[in-house]
Amino acid sequence: MEIILSTLINGLSLGGIYAMIALGYTMVYGIAKMLNFAHGDIIMIGGYVIFVTMATGNPLIAIAVAVVACVILGVTIEKIAYKPLRGASPLAVLITAIGVSYLLQSLAQIIFGSAPKMVTVYDFGTIKLLGATVQISALVTLAVTVVVMVVLTLFIKYTRLGRAMIAVSEDRGAAQLMGIDVNGIITITFAIGSALAALAGLFYLLKAPSVSSTLGAMPGIKAFTAAVIGGIGSIPGAMLGGILLGMVESISYKITAIAPYTDAIEFSILIVILLVRPNGFLGKKRREKV
Amino acid sequence: MTLKKLKLRHYLNYMVIGTVTAVLAGMVLTGYKFDNSLLFLLEKIAISIILAVSLSLVVGFLGELSLGHAGFMCVGAYLGGKIAALLVPTLGNGPLTFLIALLAGGGAAAVCGIIIGIPALRLRGDYLAIVTLAFGEIVKSLFQNSSDETFGGSLGLNTPRYDKNYLFIFAFVLVLLTLMVVQNLMRSKHGRAITAIRDNEIAARATGTNVTKYKLLAFTLSAAFAGIAGVLYSYSNYTVQSMKFGYNYSIEILVMVVLGGMGSINGSIIAAALITFLNTKLATILTGDLAVLQNLFYALILIAIVIYNNAPALKGFRDKYNLSAFADKIRKSRNDPGHVKDDKAKWDVVPTKIEMNEILSVDLTPQDSSVTWEKGGPK
Amino acid sequence: MRFTKMIALTLVAVLCLGLFAGCGASGSKGYTANNTEYVIGVSGPLTGGAAMYGQAVVNSAQIAVDEINAAGGLNGIKFKLVATDDMHDATKISTNYSSLLEGGMQLSLGTVTTAPGLEFKNLSADDNVFFLTPSASGDDIPTNPNGYQMCFADGNQGKVAAEFVNANFSGQTIGAFYKADEAYSKGIYDQFKANLDSSVTVVETSFTDANATDFATQIDTLKDCGFIFMPTYYTPASLFMTQAKDIVAADAVYYGCDGFDGIDNIEGFDITTIPQSVTMLSHFNSKADSGVAKEFIDKYVSKYGKETLNQFGASAYDCVYALYGAMKAAIDAGTEIPVDISASDLCDILKAQFEGGYTFENGVTGDKITWEKTGYVNKSAIQYVIKEAN
Repeated sequence: MEIILSTLINGLSLGGIYAMIALGYTMVYGIAKMLNFAHGDIIMIGGYVIFVTMATGNPLIAIAVAVVACVILGVTIEKIAYKPLRGASPLAVLITAIGVSYLLQSLAQIIFGSAPKMVTVYDFGTIKLLGATVQISALVTLAVTVVVMVVLTLFIKYTRLGRAMIAVSEDRGAAQLMGIDVNGIITITFAIGSALAALAGLFYLLKAPSVSSTLGAMPGIKAFTAAVIGGIGSIPGAMLGGILLGMVESISYKITAIAPYTDAIEFSILIVILLVRPNGFLGKKRREKV
Repeated sequence: MTLKKLKLRHYLNYMVIGTVTAVLAGMVLTGYKFDNSLLFLLEKIAISIILAVSLSLVVGFLGELSLGHAGFMCVGAYLGGKIAALLVPTLGNGPLTFLIALLAGGGAAAVCGIIIGIPALRLRGDYLAIVTLAFGEIVKSLFQNSSDETFGGSLGLNTPRYDKNYLFIFAFVLVLLTLMVVQNLMRSKHGRAITAIRDNEIAARATGTNVTKYKLLAFTLSAAFAGIAGVLYSYSNYTVQSMKFGYNYSIEILVMVVLGGMGSINGSIIAAALITFLNTKLATILTGDLAVLQNLFYALILIAIVIYNNAPALKGFRDKYNLSAFADKIRKSRNDPGHVKDDKAKWDVVPTKIEMNEILSVDLTPQDSSVTWEKGGPK
Repeated sequence: MRFTKMIALTLVAVLCLGLFAGCGASGSKGYTANNTEYVIGVSGPLTGGAAMYGQAVVNSAQIAVDEINAAGGLNGIKFKLVATDDMHDATKISTNYSSLLEGGMQLSLGTVTTAPGLEFKNLSADDNVFFLTPSASGDDIPTNPNGYQMCFADGNQGKVAAEFVNANFSGQTIGAFYKADEAYSKGIYDQFKANLDSSVTVVETSFTDANATDFATQIDTLKDCGFIFMPTYYTPASLFMTQAKDIVAADAVYYGCDGFDGIDNIEGFDITTIPQSVTMLSHFNSKADSGVAKEFIDKYVSKYGKETLNQFGASAYDCVYALYGAMKAAIDAGTEIPVDISASDLCDILKAQFEGGYTFENGVTGDKITWEKTGYVNKSAIQYVIKEAN
């Protein structure tokens, strides 16, 4: 019972982080129709910004600065690297995104060196929950993720801006004809996604106080997996996929025999889902048009 | 331009690579000893060229992004290396063992190519890229965690290294083989079908192209050559360690293809040789955290080239100032009336009737009256 | 079109020429002909996650070389250390090794870490270049006749740790945490497990991703263990300890091998905040307060600071002196070692010394060190408590 509970909580909090990143992926993919490969690396930059601003000693300032810095970075990347390619082939956009990801990683390595930096943002400590010892930060992560998901869903459903986003994702051309500023909407999407990435970076630091230039690479890919599993473009889907993936990872690490194959298992799930149900669990079916 | 000239032009890259190989091989066979650094560099360049040309088949010609090319190479390196290690005690470390290893490694990678090619038929673009990436990571992880007896696990697989004085000759013969297969394929009707799928899959399907068949063909062939490059890698090293074959290596190959110009085989060859050469040279010059500068430049070059080549806003600029436009200008000034405008399929939109007329009415009238016209057209 | 192709082909041609110009093709193997000093080559991670080890080795070896040279070298001939960066990546070795060899390397410290060392040992065996590695601890590293180790082999470390556990934890349950896809970590763990008494139960947990930082699940698995064996490098170990400090029992023992070295010097990680006890198996005590170890520590800290002070460096310092000693012994026995001696000739001389029972006295990492014919080192291991339980 105790083992089940602690595995569950570990899985949920890890899943929460994946969900947070997947939300960013899924929104950008849904609206800008591109896979932002550099999304994971924005997490890493967020981590480094927190590392630098923690010199002030105030975690709240550090978090605020990190969110602002990531939003600026995300929007800048969109303007410089992605916007000129709007209307070009998806292949070109994807390769550029990979280039940006590479660029951010090498920049971070040049500035901060390749050895990981250790930084403790805030030590929440642990509590006993039904006999299991649980990191409070895990519960915080989970709670914040749920709140963010609810807020985002409400924002998209009930505000003008949110509905404009839906319109752009449904049909960009028609949305433009209806007077929606498509470029503006895409910029806002990137801003929201990058802010979420900064939060994900924070959660990573709460979990493990270390940041290196490759911090975001693997979580980025895994979170994309989560987004695909849940159905790309769907916000509850990203949440569902993130939690599922977090649980799989946590359970897999628990079983000694398969623990070394954890990454392989997660990627196999991705391939199977894409083969059997390319639109994920909660995604909409799309038909390719001429 | 006569047909004969056209053919010569098509064979020039074989001739250049073939001549260089033959000269070096001749020197080695007459007992000349090269430095290790040169021999290792040549082996690495050959491996890079095979990888780049084979990836170019999928990325440049089929228009799909594969981020798991290193994964196919990994399969080839491990299986080819294992077969070689098993055969060396009985057959010796000679060309026969090498050939068997090549077939085994290339074949195994080709099978993986088919397995990955099947989702390729259902998925497009971003999803496919992610599937290939996932494949690469899975392969890496499986070999990394294999038991010590099978594939060496975390220590890596010990493989027989081929005599370093001769390996580069085999390596360049394999480069020529790769070129022959890929170039001949691309110049055949099958190659036209593959580029047709890239330019407009639905239109290709509508005109009766067997999209399934050609996608699978391109994927499998590309994987097979990546596998061959892998076997070559296992032969040029004492150990095969799966860590090498990660996502970063796949990206490095992709950089070669993009830098060389997508869909240009010669471009891929030059870029592969250049990047490998620079990587090796820079490794001894740039030390410390400066070594990352190299990656930074690659990233910047990648972004710049892709934006320059694809941004719709830069189209006018590109058409005015690219290499072939420059060449056209020179040709015009040389009064070459026989020049027919190169009509590669690079329309971003399907041409309208008016544009079609423009394209079809290529100006063949002589610009200089001094050119004499005889029966059957200009000479 | 023809014009573009012409440009392309010209580029190819220029590149081919560049190959020759860049590398040259010397006909003979006389790379050492112009040497004015004995050249020692080494390849190690000077950047990247394992940089601390590479820097320690290069710095310490440089100290030893400087000392020997200041004292007049070997019969008036000085030594020179040439280091190359391999970033702990085996694929960089062929380039590094050939540039070292062609730069006149006559003897070598091999590689700093195991994975690149597996490539280095074979390349050097082909050319018969002697190496004595300070820290590449893989069991397979010294299998060729030209290779020797100054550090304990992984198998040996695992065995010593298992003996310690057998003696102290018989009939109990202990925990183990290792990196399943890393030669060093898995190598030690496999030997540890093989030598463990059947009465000891092991709860094992592992991780794979090189960038893994989150060990919540692994900690959860091990939280009831009073003794946790951790044959990993210090970065994951420090993260494990930080995350586990309130979960694992406060009086538990973390027991590591030489990879733990330097864990008390990581920037941003304060080992005193960890309530548990941290112990490592080593051949060098970085807190030593007397003897040659103390002298070495003082010299190192005054020159390079204490951030990179660890047993890898101490071992490298000993390696240089051991090589110097072996060459001196050969000269004293009447063998001539000219300054431009080829790597292969020097290798034969050194092999004869090391196989013939050469003893290295009074080193920083041990006294009266000898070597097996297999290349493994004979010296005693120190169990060194980095930090007591609070």
